[in-house]
Amino acid sequence: MDPELKEIYDFIGAIPPFDQLPSEELERLIPKVTIRYLRTGADLCPEGGLEEKIYLVRKGALSLLSVNGQLIEKFGESDIYAFCEQNEADRLVTQVTEDSLLYTLPLTTTERLKEHYPAVNSFFDKSASQRLNQIVKEKSKEAIINSTLMDSTIAELFNEPATTIESDQSISDAAKKMTALNHSALLVMEGSKLVGIVTDKDLRKRCLATGLSPDRPVTSIMTAEPKCVTINHNAFDTLMLMHQKGFHHLPVIRNGAVAGMITVTDLMHQESENSSHLTGLVHKAKTVEELIEASKLLPQIQVKLTRLGASAEHLGKSVSAITTAITCRLIELAEEKLGPAPVPYLWVAAGSHARQEQSSHSDQDNGLIISDKMKPEDDAWFKALAIFVTDGLNSCGYVYCPGEVMATNPKWRQPVSVWRSYFDSWVETPEPMALMYSSIFFDLFAVYGESAFLTEIRISTLNKTRKSTLFLALLSRNALKLAPPLGFFRDFVLESSGDHKDTLDLKHNGIAPIVDLARIYALSEGIYSVNTINRLRAAAGTPSLSKEASEELIDALEFLGTLRIEHQAKQIKNNQQPDNYLSPNALSKLEREHLKDAFKVIRSMQKVIQSRYN
Amino acid sequence: MFSQLFGLEAQRKRLLKKAPEGALRDFLSVPFPELDTPINKTPILAVDFETTGLNIKKDKILSVGFISMENNEILLSTAYHRVIYLKEDLTEENVIIHQIMDSAREQGDSLEAVISELLKALAGKVMLVHYARIEKNFLERACKKLYGVAPVFPIIDTLVVAKNRLDKQGSYKPAELRLSNLRDSHKLPAHYAHNALNDALATAEVLMAEVELIRCDYPLPLKKLLI
Repeated sequence: MDPELKEIYDFIGAIPPFDQLPSEELERLIPKVTIRYLRTGADLCPEGGLEEKIYLVRKGALSLLSVNGQLIEKFGESDIYAFCEQNEADRLVTQVTEDSLLYTLPLTTTERLKEHYPAVNSFFDKSASQRLNQIVKEKSKEAIINSTLMDSTIAELFNEPATTIESDQSISDAAKKMTALNHSALLVMEGSKLVGIVTDKDLRKRCLATGLSPDRPVTSIMTAEPKCVTINHNAFDTLMLMHQKGFHHLPVIRNGAVAGMITVTDLMHQESENSSHLTGLVHKAKTVEELIEASKLLPQIQVKLTRLGASAEHLGKSVSAITTAITCRLIELAEEKLGPAPVPYLWVAAGSHARQEQSSHSDQDNGLIISDKMKPEDDAWFKALAIFVTDGLNSCGYVYCPGEVMATNPKWRQPVSVWRSYFDSWVETPEPMALMYSSIFFDLFAVYGESAFLTEIRISTLNKTRKSTLFLALLSRNALKLAPPLGFFRDFVLESSGDHKDTLDLKHNGIAPIVDLARIYALSEGIYSVNTINRLRAAAGTPSLSKEASEELIDALEFLGTLRIEHQAKQIKNNQQPDNYLSPNALSKLEREHLKDAFKVIRSMQKVIQSRYN
Repeated sequence: MFSQLFGLEAQRKRLLKKAPEGALRDFLSVPFPELDTPINKTPILAVDFETTGLNIKKDKILSVGFISMENNEILLSTAYHRVIYLKEDLTEENVIIHQIMDSAREQGDSLEAVISELLKALAGKVMLVHYARIEKNFLERACKKLYGVAPVFPIIDTLVVAKNRLDKQGSYKPAELRLSNLRDSHKLPAHYAHNALNDALATAEVLMAEVELIRCDYPLPLKKLLI
C-alpha cells in the first residue's frame, strides 16, 4: 500500500471492527475504498442506490429516518453505517445532515473478512440482541481475567500454616485429621520435606472405591511430588494453572519451605469472604456506632467485588444482603432498648433493596406491616422502632427517602388490613398517585419479622392485578415514559427527539425501563418474585414475554449493570459519591455500540407492551 | 471555452500524427471526454507533481501522484505515487519540504517510466490539478524531452474553480485559494500536504465540494469547469 494513504489507513484502522484486522488485511481493504462528498440535504443513494455499502463518516453527519420522518439513528465522525437492501415496507431514508466526506466500501468486501474475523462478523451480521448476548458472555469470561487476581500474589490469599500429616501415618489417620480440621487436603511430610499431597478425592477414588485398607500408609494414596507454587507467584496465573491441570489444592512454598496451601476456592470466592467478613461485623455489633463503623466498609466491598469481576446481579445481591443484615441488627438493637413488640409485625424494604439490586448506600425505602391485633396505643412502640431504625440506617449511609417512603411515615406503618386495602384501591382506581405507589410497593421484601404478612397480601394482590387490564394498561403507559435514547452522536447522547445530551443516565435511560417492564410482566402473569432477573426468567415463555425476549432483556440489564458497577467502583476509588451518570467521552466506541444495542432491545420490548395495551 | 476545446480535440488529432510510437501516441489516440458530459460522469484524473522549484527550464519533477474519479467517487484502488530518480543530489530545501530523502531518490523510477504511466492513466480523462501551471508546464516539457512532442490535455483547475466562485461573492484574500485553506473552508479534514498523492487526493476532494456549490438546473457539464 502507498504509505501516502496512511491517514486513511490510520483512520479506518482505528474504527471497530476494523481495528481487529491485522495490517495486511487492512492493506487489502483500503484500495477498495471510494470517497464521496455530499452536501447537507443530499440523498445518500439518489439513483438506483441498491448497491449494499458500508459508509464510514470521515467528516460530517448522516441521519437515518423512518418513512414517517422519525429519527432512528445519527452517524458522525468515525461512525459506520451499513446500508443494506431493505423491504419496501420498512424502507428507511438516509439524509445527509451536515456536509459529509464519506469513505465507502461495498458490503461484499466484508464477506471474506466475516469468515475469518468474528468481530467483523458480529458487527455486520448479528442483530442487536445477538451482539449483546455475545458481549455479556465475553464479559463474564473476562470477569476472572480482569479480577484483582491479576495484581495479587499468592501471599495475600493462601492458608497458613500448612495442614500436614507425617508420611508414616495411615489413611484413616489422614481421614480423621481432615474431618477434625474440616480441610479437604493435607500435605504429606517427611520431617520438613514435602513428599506428597492427599485430598478427599484421593480418599474416595484410591481407597474407598478400590477397597484399599484404611490401615495402609497415607503415602499409598497420595500424589507424590506435587506441583508447588512459590509465595510470590501471581494469583491469576495460579488459578489458570489449577484450571488447566484440574488441581484444587497447591502447596505454597516460602524460602524453600512449605508455608501453607492455596485452593481454587480461596482464589475464586475471595469476594464472598469479603462480604461475609462484613456481615460478621454487623452481627457482632453491640451499638449503633459499631454498625456505622462496619457499614463504612460497604463501598470498599463494592469496589472489591467489581474488581473481582462480580456480575451486576451478584453484586446487587451481595450488597442487598448486607443491607438486610444491617437493618435486622438495628431492629434487634431497637427491641433491646424498647422491649418486646406489643404484637407481631414485619419490617419491609421497597425499591432496589427489595429487588436485591442495590449498590452501596442508596436511599432507604421501607415500611411496617403490623398485625391486625394491634391496638391504637401500640403505635407508639412501632413509631419509636421506626425512628430508631430509619435514623440508624441514615447514619449507616442509607439516607432518608426524599419521598417519605419510610416506616416513620404513619401512612406506611399500618396493620395488614390497611395495607391490603391500599393495594386493592391502587389496582381498582389506578389514578396517577396510585400508579406511583404501585411501582414502589409491588417490589417489597420481608426484612424482619412475620414474613407471612407480606406473602398473604402479595398473593391476593397478584390475583387482582392479573385480571385488571385497565391497571396494567395504565401502569404500562407510565412505564413507557422512560424511553431509552437512540444512541450516541459524536460525544453526545442522542435522544429520540433528536436532542443531544452530554450525560447518559444509566438508571433512568436503561436500567429503570427494564425494571419497569419486568414488574409489568410479573403483575400480568402473577409472578411472585420481585428481583428483576428472576421476574424475567419466570415470565419467559408466558404470553407476556417470549423466551428469546426474556434472554435479550436479561443480557441488556446485565450489560447496563456492569457498566454501572464499573463506573461506581471508579468513583468510590476516587472518593466521589457514586452515581449513575456517564459521560459519553468515558465510553469506548465499542461500549457505545453495545449500549445502542441494549437500547434497541429495550425499545423493541416497550413497543410490544405499548401495542398490547393500546 | 468551446472553441478552446474544439481546438484541443483538433490539436490532439494533429499531434497524434506527429507523435512517435509509444506512450504519448497511445495517449493522444484516445479522444478527450465530450464537452457536454455531465461533470459527475466525466472520468477525471487528479494529478500532483512535487518539483525542485518553479522554473521549468532548470527544475525537475521529484515525484508524481495521481488518483482517479468516476461517477463522483474517488477510487483509492487507482492511487499512484512514484519518486523519480535524479542524478544530482537534492538540495536541503527540497528534502525538507518534500520529505524525500536521497536514499529514496536513488531507488526512484526513471522519468520516462513514470510519465508513460501517467499518460496511460490520463488517456480519455480530464486532468485535475490545483494551480495548473506547474503540472501543465512540467508535463509538457517532460514529454517534449522524452518524445519530442508536447501534448495537449483538458484541465480542471480547482484554484480557478474556487476563484470564479469567490469572485462572484466579492472580496477575499488570495491566500484563501490555497489548497489547505480551501479544504478548511469546505470543512474537509486536514491533509498531509507536500506529498504528490496526498495533494492529488486533497484536490479531488476539493473539486467534489466545489462542484456541489455550483448552482445549476441541469447536470453541470464539463465545459463549465475546464480552463
